[in-house]
Amino acid sequence: MKKKLIYSTILILGLTSSALNTSCNKDFDVINTNPNTSPKVRPENLLAPAITKVVGYNMNRSQRITNELMQVTVNMGDGEGRIFRYEIRNSEADYLWNNWYIQLRNFRDIYDFADELNNDGYKAVALICESWIFSLLTDTYGDIPYTEALQGRDQNNFTPIFDKQQDIYLSLFEKLEEANSLLAALPPTTTILDWSDPVFNGNLQKWRKFSNSLYLRLALRVAHKVELNSSDIITKIIDLEPSNYPIMESNDDSAILRWTGSSPYVSPFATWRPGDWNSPAMAEFFVERLQERGDPRIQKWATEVAGNYGGVPSGYPVGQPPIVQSRPHPSLMTQPLLGNIMNYAELQFILAEAAVKGWVFAQPAEVYYERGISAAITLWEYTVPSFYMGTVFTKWNDAETEFEKMEKIHIQKYYSLYFTDLQSWFEYRRTGHPVLPVRSGHLNGGKMPTRLIYPVYISSTNRENYQKAVQEQGPDNINTLVWWQRP
Amino acid sequence: MLTTGQKRNKFMKFTPKLLWAVLAVTCCTGLEAYATSNVSYTNSAVQQKIRIQGRVLDESTGLPLEGVSIRIGSVAITQTSSNGSFDFETEAGSMVNFVLIGYSPYPRTFSTSADNIIITLESESQGIEEVVVTALGIERNKKSLGYAATELKGEQLTEALANNWSEALSGKVAGVNLVRSGGGPAGSNKIILRGENNLTGDNQALIVVDGVVINNSSGNQVGTGHGAYLGGDSPSDFGTGINDINPEDIETVTVLKGANATALYGQRGANGAIVITTKSGRSRKGIGLTISSNATIESISRWPDYQFEYGQGTEGVRYYSFLAAQGLASTRSTSSAWGPKFNGQYFYQYDPITQTRATEPSLWQPYPDARKEFFDTGATFTNSISLDGGNDKTQVRFSFTDLRNNWIIPNTGYARNNVSLTASHDVTDKLKIRTRLNYRQNRSDNLPSTGYNNQSIMYWNIFWMPNAPLSWLENYWINGQENIAQSYPFSSYPDNPYLIAYEMLNKNKRHGLTGNIEASYKFSDEWDVLARTTLDVNMERRSQQRPWDTEKFSRGMYRTQQLNNSETTSEVMVNYKKDINEDIKIRVTGGGSTLRNEASQERNLADSLAYPGIYNLGNAAGIIVTIPNRSELVLNSLYTMGGISYKDYLFADYSYRIDWNSALASPISKGKPFSYSSLNLSFVLSDAVTLPSYLSYAKLRSSLAGVGSGGMRPYLTAYNYNIEPTFSGGRANPTLVPNLMLEPLNTTSFEIGTDLAFFRNRWSLNATYYHANTTNQHLQAVVDRSSGANQVLVNAGNIQNSGFELESRIAPIRKSDGGFQWNINATFSTNKNKVVELTDEMPEMTLQNGPGSRGSIIAKTGGRMDALYGRGYLRAPDGQIVYNAGIPVLTDTMMYIGQTNPKWRAGINNEFRYKQFRIGFLFDAQFGAVGYSLTAANLASQGKTKNTLPGRYNGIIGNGVIDNGDGTYRKNDVIATNVWDYYTAHFGNDNVEGTSYSTDFLKLREVRLDYNLSPSLLSQIGLQRATIGVFGRDLFIWSSWPAFDPEFGTLGNGDITRGFELGQFPATRTFGFNLVVGL
Repeated sequence: MKKKLIYSTILILGLTSSALNTSCNKDFDVINTNPNTSPKVRPENLLAPAITKVVGYNMNRSQRITNELMQVTVNMGDGEGRIFRYEIRNSEADYLWNNWYIQLRNFRDIYDFADELNNDGYKAVALICESWIFSLLTDTYGDIPYTEALQGRDQNNFTPIFDKQQDIYLSLFEKLEEANSLLAALPPTTTILDWSDPVFNGNLQKWRKFSNSLYLRLALRVAHKVELNSSDIITKIIDLEPSNYPIMESNDDSAILRWTGSSPYVSPFATWRPGDWNSPAMAEFFVERLQERGDPRIQKWATEVAGNYGGVPSGYPVGQPPIVQSRPHPSLMTQPLLGNIMNYAELQFILAEAAVKGWVFAQPAEVYYERGISAAITLWEYTVPSFYMGTVFTKWNDAETEFEKMEKIHIQKYYSLYFTDLQSWFEYRRTGHPVLPVRSGHLNGGKMPTRLIYPVYISSTNRENYQKAVQEQGPDNINTLVWWQRP
Repeated sequence: MLTTGQKRNKFMKFTPKLLWAVLAVTCCTGLEAYATSNVSYTNSAVQQKIRIQGRVLDESTGLPLEGVSIRIGSVAITQTSSNGSFDFETEAGSMVNFVLIGYSPYPRTFSTSADNIIITLESESQGIEEVVVTALGIERNKKSLGYAATELKGEQLTEALANNWSEALSGKVAGVNLVRSGGGPAGSNKIILRGENNLTGDNQALIVVDGVVINNSSGNQVGTGHGAYLGGDSPSDFGTGINDINPEDIETVTVLKGANATALYGQRGANGAIVITTKSGRSRKGIGLTISSNATIESISRWPDYQFEYGQGTEGVRYYSFLAAQGLASTRSTSSAWGPKFNGQYFYQYDPITQTRATEPSLWQPYPDARKEFFDTGATFTNSISLDGGNDKTQVRFSFTDLRNNWIIPNTGYARNNVSLTASHDVTDKLKIRTRLNYRQNRSDNLPSTGYNNQSIMYWNIFWMPNAPLSWLENYWINGQENIAQSYPFSSYPDNPYLIAYEMLNKNKRHGLTGNIEASYKFSDEWDVLARTTLDVNMERRSQQRPWDTEKFSRGMYRTQQLNNSETTSEVMVNYKKDINEDIKIRVTGGGSTLRNEASQERNLADSLAYPGIYNLGNAAGIIVTIPNRSELVLNSLYTMGGISYKDYLFADYSYRIDWNSALASPISKGKPFSYSSLNLSFVLSDAVTLPSYLSYAKLRSSLAGVGSGGMRPYLTAYNYNIEPTFSGGRANPTLVPNLMLEPLNTTSFEIGTDLAFFRNRWSLNATYYHANTTNQHLQAVVDRSSGANQVLVNAGNIQNSGFELESRIAPIRKSDGGFQWNINATFSTNKNKVVELTDEMPEMTLQNGPGSRGSIIAKTGGRMDALYGRGYLRAPDGQIVYNAGIPVLTDTMMYIGQTNPKWRAGINNEFRYKQFRIGFLFDAQFGAVGYSLTAANLASQGKTKNTLPGRYNGIIGNGVIDNGDGTYRKNDVIATNVWDYYTAHFGNDNVEGTSYSTDFLKLREVRLDYNLSPSLLSQIGLQRATIGVFGRDLFIWSSWPAFDPEFGTLGNGDITRGFELGQFPATRTFGFNLVVGL
């Protein structure tokens, strides 16, 4: 009897353990396969979210950094970290670096997956977007990880080396050349899926025009650096091979992610609290230049106070806050045009400058300049006032000095770049235009910051390469000149 | 028809045939041996016979005790009857011992005959001879345990009932750390034992109800996934299945504090366990019916030190004007109270009737009670009924509880029902089947939004003005624009609090079922087998609605979440035990289990509404965004444990468990198994050698264990694209690079302790030292984003926790016969946390960011896991604060501010009994931690607290020095006339040092007064027991904390975190009344 009990127990034990043993990790790989997501995607899945996010990040920092530095707005106060006073906290460095690179990972996937699928349309779009975002990165920070960037997932490289800005620009030119030739080789009716492309609804011809226009933006940015001789690129595109390099021809071709107001294309400012939107005041420089030109766009850009527009002088003395007048117009919070990536007006001002500098001959500078002005104003759905081109502030005069011409072009470009990432700051750093008043409340010795510092955490997570970059470029502060800013 | 039935016995029936009690039998043998050995023999000379009559009662309940063994020497001469009475003869002067399992033996010498003697026995809650429930529900004799375990009786949870039963652990068990969400009536608590050991994951103790671990199913949803600081929406605490456990159904709670006690839980045992056993039926005549009724009221106990001398106004403005008038600019929209002093002057103010500026100026006066008037007195009513009964073969218990709560914020509260059923049946002498089922339903029509944000009441409370009465807010719509436009007179940042309370609703309804079914078969005295299936199911629907014109959702919002979780475990356990000889006994258990956890969550978001005032998904103005999420996990385990004992005073135990976890499988591996083992030693010195007579009991214990944690989150081992739910077909790269070879965390823990009792158990002391290291942390190592990822998941790091725990019980006065008694229970614990190592590249790791990233909890190698860093005062070498232009200067870098978990905690409970009365009060204290108070920071920088009064009109000179620029300093002599900047620099957001305050406190946690009706009165009115009690909870707080409650956690992103107080709800005190009637 006792034996029987023991045997049966052993049997049960044995059965149990063998049952468990054989099944102890059976199908675990299947069970631990995430049922909510996919390990595989196609290019069209990635494009719209990535581009929408980048435009959102750009708008955010345009409001926070560009508008403050470039005297569009003044977020008044005497405390620390007031960007309008040229005081930029170290923590400002992280946002763009982190978000831009994370989205670049998506664009790199679009290229790779499109390559697998032999879809040259998405390949070209990925190249254009990569060029655009990498240019923003290098113009903001200087030397940055480029050739070894984005290799964490596939090559376990979490400490990429930094590349020199000069080399990055060369590579961006190659990317844009490649994009142009890929698109040139496609039949003109070829599109990418319209729902995947909130900028051009799949129209690859418009992408090609944007690509070459962006090429001009980048070429002009470094055209003064003899090392790259990029003025030749401008000449090539406009004067020598215009049919090989189609560019934007009207506002219709502008690269703008127009916020429709229905999800997901809701302006990132639409969810801001009115109190947060209203915290900065309009700056005197921005408001007065518009007023003296009789520019109608002021109605959409600033609030009226007792029938008038008025701004706060940026850099006002510490402890002497001026009276606030106009604020940024609340309708801008849902304004579709704030999703600007690059518009036709900017292109015209690029060409106007190139004409002034003698790199473009197809049209005189005046033509580009006036086209730019009318495109910029009509984009905002105003007609150009009849007097506009004739005022003392706007009238083109070939007899003026280059400095005067540059100021005329760049004050207009400044308005055309309204809410366009950090572009007007980049242009100011390149040209010194438009000339901004510096007051006693401007810190940093009254000097416009020339870059953002690298995120502080990189000095520990990518220590060696960070140190090399600092050795190469100069101290990691907001006054070190990036390559194209160096004399 | 209910009968008065038999008197209930508190002790457990030991029917040798019942497998369930097999282990306990061993204990029982030990117990009786112990009791016997303590009887001292009296003079054996022939004495005169005397006759003794009387009754034995339970000391705490006053109920008669049946089956009390009355012994002279080792000979049992009789037992008490069902009404506790006894009647025996003995020799005069002999020592008679009254012995009942579960109670302290009571020796008494009788020299003459006596009748109507009342003997009261005290239940053995100091736990020396107790049977305790340990890991996997295995009952063990406490003296054989090599680790610390504290047991609380159900009464200790219900006698001063809190909305969340786990509150009752505070101050009563050493080493328990409750992190409270403070998130309203359903407030969740995180229970952390012996410190935090997991850098990036869950540190919460396992909560085990009748053998069912509920953490990963009904217990795993806290709040909604938003941040507490100005996030997209404010989090609400919907509670969890842990909150829903009915304290009335709890028989015992065993706190297994360390990994040593919970090694048998294998991969999820590292954080200790709270093992809850629910009440079961007893064999008795007739039906036992118990009704208990509990009513509490709750009101705010503590407020910040608000000022009512100056009213609304921006910096330095000495007039007031609601909207611009008479050439004066409007001062309406500022949130600050730096304005004019209340001097009897008249200003143009708000008119609530016209909802704009009044036509006539009115008196400028403060309304000191406005902030307080908004709140109600909370009330909770809990009514329970339980039935139990049975015979030798079958025992059943059924209970039903109804709870209704109205909280202190108008229109908030919840209701809960619990139904539980326990049944056991002996099918044959060998086969026993038993089941326990607990069903709970929790529902609310509105739970408050928490945190510092629009939609939270406390955000409004900070922004409210000293010069405004609450009545201005009662009409919360603009006249004629109901449901379309809200009315709020001041700054547009906060929402109208009545709009929040009555229109911004957070609803939920939750069903939970936790239960088990088990069968045991006893082959012989040596062999038995037990099979058990446990189930934990949770289903919940939640919704949030916001009207049009709220600050965060200008076109309204409606969101729903549907949560389903289930976890089932099947387990087989074979037990063998054998007495090798008189002295050596062994027992071995082998078993295996398989666990399957399935969860799904579906969220629907309509973040703008087509038509105002209608809240359903059909009213969405745009696309309804749907975010589904499912997960599944399987954990298979084999384990064995056992022990050997020598002469019932030396015990050696081992356990070994091996786990296969599906969450560790990856595309390249099916996941390797991980094993965990422990070794425990217990030596009862007092049984082995003769000790001095004052030392009644002495035990030494020691334990070494390895155990795991952190492997319960699936899908961390593969690369998958995220869904971008608002985009058609949208995907994006994940930002965390997964780890294909992920391993669970591993905790190695050592503890050593002693249990001592002196003076016939009048004073007992349990002391434990522990030391644990948790390695293989799941670190999401931050990488340079230029690599294309935010983080990479690695196994690295080492966190060490060590500390002391003391629990002591003293009975300074113990008069028998229902006379005066005084009992003291005291607990004390320390924990020292150390970050031994992170990854090679990382010297530090930010675990948590404070509001606006102003401060952070940073783990630095060599530091602590709970270290608060932030900017503080720049100081001269002698420590004085450096001033510039009259304003204190802050450091540029983050400096160490303090630790956010206390250095020590202590509790002391005093209890006095006299006849039918019992009075108790519990003090609870913690010391040595700091916390950042956003409430205090914002009140101060808005000029709303008294600490900002000095120097308002004339300026102030701060106490400190001025840097001469050459390394020398002179005394600060600059008057700061801009006092708002001065106080903001001192107490405002950016000065983390200045706005971090000590969280030391002493709380009068519980006060109770109970009256038990006397047995004679009870029998006259036909009741078995009746207790009436009044109690209070959290009656007084002594603390320098400037906001409400120094004990706080912050609910956000589905977790409760400590360190940063972000708009906490007021602290409350509770008064209650309870009535327990047994028929």
